[in-house]
Amino acid sequence: MSESEMALSAGQSGHGAFMEPSPYGIQSKKLTMWLFIISDAVTFGAILMVFSYLRAGTPNWNAPFRFSPSIINGMVMTFVLLTSSLTMLGAVEAAKAGRKAASLKWLGGTVLLGTLFAVLHIREWFHMFDEGWRLFQNPTGGPVIFGAAFFSITGLHLMHVISGVIALIVIAIGYSTDWLDANHVETTGLYWHFVDLVWMFVFPLVYLMNASR
Amino acid sequence: MESDTSSRMKSYVGIWIGLICIAGIEVFLTYRNFPVHELLAFLLVLAFIEAGIALMYFMHLKYERPSLFWSLIPTVLFVLLMMNQIWPDAYRLAKLKLLIQ
Repeated sequence: MSESEMALSAGQSGHGAFMEPSPYGIQSKKLTMWLFIISDAVTFGAILMVFSYLRAGTPNWNAPFRFSPSIINGMVMTFVLLTSSLTMLGAVEAAKAGRKAASLKWLGGTVLLGTLFAVLHIREWFHMFDEGWRLFQNPTGGPVIFGAAFFSITGLHLMHVISGVIALIVIAIGYSTDWLDANHVETTGLYWHFVDLVWMFVFPLVYLMNASR
Repeated sequence: MESDTSSRMKSYVGIWIGLICIAGIEVFLTYRNFPVHELLAFLLVLAFIEAGIALMYFMHLKYERPSLFWSLIPTVLFVLLMMNQIWPDAYRLAKLKLLIQ
């Protein structure tokens, strides 16, 4: 095909005429989210590995989490986050089926559950502050690195949850005003499920492995 | 369409219950007084099962083209496996600290 023919073809059918179809059969925004998720998974993998390294390499490591309130609080947080994944699925399914009102209700439920998770998490942090825990302060006399490791990991996860709640609110507003579509809801859902997936590792490795028995 | 959505939601609820049960098993095992390394192995296996279920069903990776799965998941697993070279040094450090004490 000559250059003039190609230009004519582009004029008739847009730039798509020169583009190959996606090898994954998904939209670029969804692929971008997947790439972000795997890079973030490696980040969390590294930080959890460092936590495990410190734990294995420190003989007098702390196990400060009592069943009540810490582990019970962690179980409630797990339940809340898992349930928010279910409501997110409801939002995605309703959006794909074109039921906008139902999708927005499910999104609202997800936002509420995400906010509840963040509140429970922050409440636990304040409880630990009251006991004397700080980034570089251990009230039990054990290794000071415990506080730094704990607050870094849970803080990074909490930041993801808060970012997710903000993203969900923006998506809900955009979707309700037809500025965004069902694909945006699905892509944001991927992120939200990833936040849940990370918690599936944070809860056993950071809380349960450090439960006082 | 409506019935498809309804049946998918029912299967999601089943998976959600399964994930909550796995989290419950993790807490149960924590208080069974296993040695630390055994407990870590149990919890990691259960966490990977939970993550796999969430990835395949909640994140719909099961319903995407296999090329997406094979491009993403082995890469992440390879990187995570490569990070495991830290363990000998962690145990060396622990032994060293015990000797000093």
